Amino acid sequence: VLHTTRQLHTTQQSLAPLPPLPEKGGEVRHGLIPEEFFQFLYPKTGVTGPYMLGTGLVLYLLSKEIYVVNHETVAAACILSIIIYAVKRFGGDVAAFADKLNEEKIAKALAVKNEAMENLQTAIEEEKKEQWRVEGRSYLFDAKRNNVAMLLETNYRERLMMVYNEVKKRLDYQVAMQNLRRQKEQDHMIEWVEKNVVKSITPQQQKESIAKCILDLKALSKGAHAAV
Amino acid sequence: MNLSFFDQFMTPHLLGIPLILIATLFPTLLYPHPGNRWIPNRLTTLQLWLLNLITKQLLLPLNKKGHKWALVLTSLMTFLLTINLLGLLPYTFTPTTQLSMNMALAFPLWLATLLTGLRNQPSISLGHLLPEGTPTPLIPALILIETTSLLIRPLALGVRLTANLTAGHLLIQLISTASMALLPIMPAVSLLTTSILLLLTILEVAVAMIQAYVFVLLLSLYLQENI
Repeated sequence: VLHTTRQLHTTQQSLAPLPPLPEKGGEVRHGLIPEEFFQFLYPKTGVTGPYMLGTGLVLYLLSKEIYVVNHETVAAACILSIIIYAVKRFGGDVAAFADKLNEEKIAKALAVKNEAMENLQTAIEEEKKEQWRVEGRSYLFDAKRNNVAMLLETNYRERLMMVYNEVKKRLDYQVAMQNLRRQKEQDHMIEWVEKNVVKSITPQQQKESIAKCILDLKALSKGAHAAV
Repeated sequence: MNLSFFDQFMTPHLLGIPLILIATLFPTLLYPHPGNRWIPNRLTTLQLWLLNLITKQLLLPLNKKGHKWALVLTSLMTFLLTINLLGLLPYTFTPTTQLSMNMALAFPLWLATLLTGLRNQPSISLGHLLPEGTPTPLIPALILIETTSLLIRPLALGVRLTANLTAGHLLIQLISTASMALLPIMPAVSLLTTSILLLLTILEVAVAMIQAYVFVLLLSLYLQENI
């Protein structure tokens, strides 16, 4: 249906937002006749009014043969009974199916919205966590600073050690030189003394010492014989 | 009014004014316009769902170029479906029982598919005249046969729809006449006849829907071959 059915130029032409659809359709009695008709006739004819009207009308049409009963009547009865049966049996299911289609459509859109909201919520929490992490930054820097200081200290001590070792090596060298010198002088002197002593032993003295030794040996042997 | 069996198939006149145009175009009024709503009412939702289903089904085997035919095929399907189903109501005139109207639908559409095929891909289109794997001596005969079958397609389309619907309507009328005539004589047999009529009416509902579908399906098949 085109928009020619609206009255021209009575409202602004914007089509949104559309007024919401009514919750339920118009009330109908017996699936055909609107409830308003019964309400319309109620003040004058009461509850049975419309039914009397209907019955009277049908009987009038039939008795005056304005409506002739022919083969189409039977065919009409058949198709109408089939239609009524189908509507009564499957009407609820079809309505539920249509509602389900609409529900799925809405649910899909809602799911998108909810997912977006959840994503944002998660992003907010992550951000808060990051901010908390940032607060702990100072501890990190302190620890790093301590590390660096320790490294520097270690390095300094190593170098001190090195210096000490080098100095000690040089001093040891000097001491070893002195010792060597002393040793050499001592050895040389001993050698010189021995040489001189050996040189000073005259042959006379040599003979005397040998004779003395023989006498001593004899004395000792006598003593040994006696012991045995 | 005393009806003969021909009255159902005569184009309706009211005081000399032919009503054929209204009779043909009335079914469009039964489909509410979806408008701007995102969530429409139940009738519109079902209508949109049905149109979606029909269009998907029809366009599935067609390639991209065939999608230009979507509107024609879907609207044709809805048109035939509605007219066929409305014709089952009493005292209604079914335009699709008229051979003239069905031929007017079938012939131009079939010719359109044929000419599309011959214009855009003539060799493939003509190649459809020879099924694969035929033994060589049979080729001339088979080409003649296939050409005949090709040329008879619009006739077949139109006559199939007309014959099915006309036969169905006629049967309903005859059996209801029999049922009515038997009522004063042998009520039990009349009851039996009425039960047969009930079953027949259910069949006719099915036939109405199937014939509409078959018409459009065959057209889409011819389109598939040629596009």
